[in-house]
Amino acid sequence: MITRVRMPRKLFASLVGGVTLALAGAAFGHHSGAAYDFNHMAIMEATVKQVNWTNPHITFVVEKDVKAGEPASTWVFEVSSPGVLTRSGWTKRSLQPGDHATFRYAPLRSGTAGGFLREVTLANGQKLTFSFTPSG
Amino acid sequence: MIAGCALWVLAVSAAVAKPPDLSGVWLPDVADQSRQETQNIPPWKPEVRSQIQRMIADEDAGHPFLVLNHCLPYGMPSWMLITHNAFELLVTPGRITMLGEVDGNRMRRIYMDGRPHPADPDLTLHGHSIGRWVGDTLVVDTTAVAPQAYIAISEATGIPNNGDMHIVERIHLTAPDVMADDLEITAPKVLTRTWKTTRLFRRYPSRHFEITEGECAQEDLVAGKDKFGNDVFIDNPQNADGSVRPVK
Repeated sequence: MITRVRMPRKLFASLVGGVTLALAGAAFGHHSGAAYDFNHMAIMEATVKQVNWTNPHITFVVEKDVKAGEPASTWVFEVSSPGVLTRSGWTKRSLQPGDHATFRYAPLRSGTAGGFLREVTLANGQKLTFSFTPSG
Repeated sequence: MIAGCALWVLAVSAAVAKPPDLSGVWLPDVADQSRQETQNIPPWKPEVRSQIQRMIADEDAGHPFLVLNHCLPYGMPSWMLITHNAFELLVTPGRITMLGEVDGNRMRRIYMDGRPHPADPDLTLHGHSIGRWVGDTLVVDTTAVAPQAYIAISEATGIPNNGDMHIVERIHLTAPDVMADDLEITAPKVLTRTWKTTRLFRRYPSRHFEITEGECAQEDLVAGKDKFGNDVFIDNPQNADGSVRPVK
């Protein structure tokens, strides 16, 4: 059995800004969505900062729109895998850095700046979502 | 005349005996997986049941147990039981091969050439599988599964089989593009008796689906340059925020 050990990340401490560091000893892999609160879906407008079109999950790093009285914040939205999104009509270019969009997501129950993405509405009104099967 | 009739009979017999074509890209029925999670619970041993109950409580509390940690393949039988992703089934002489996506080396080889299981097998996450056709049903017998391979009923609920597991599958079409995998899982270390369950898969021939390359470790990496300017993968700074993933 092979357990991958992750290299130290001090190189990237300066890159992540205000994002909380939580170093891990091994790759997490595919996992349950139970950390997300699907009973309290939320919506935010944000600008895409980084697209990680990767297995087992895709992640989008976004900068939340600054509202009056709120500090700027970086969020990480997790979504299904490249296979599932490709079969749902997405491409790796559907959402790109710099795109401003509306994100509908299940927030992390912990209250930290992350969520599980369910739908994106692009500036031109196009909606991006996904399902495991064409009929579902 | 007699020879002609004999040929005709042979041709008809061959046509009748031809097994159904299972090749193609198959997508799991995830909604049915969820129903099975509560409607057909494995006969866990009492000491295992208490572990499972704790996992269910942890998941309800938002701290799911990471059944699929370490980016290892799901292995058997979890691949068939809980995957949310497609697999491609290839039929070639003497072998049926299943290729998956999402994590690395998700692959099953089902030998159809009549060979027996090896006497002293190397244990693997997918085990050693031999298959044969019984009418329209593909019967697959799997042994030599590593004891660390989970019997999982969800991505947050499962237990390692702990050794000596034996799986018999009866795979058949219930409609032209609907495949049922009837599994009989015998795992004496964790189950009180053989657990029977079924998983459904569908193919969509008009969609021209393909499975994608699946490398679980990619999520921890991002494209970058080394000191010579070569294109390499480097640690993904976004993933320094472990909060996006549930941390046990």
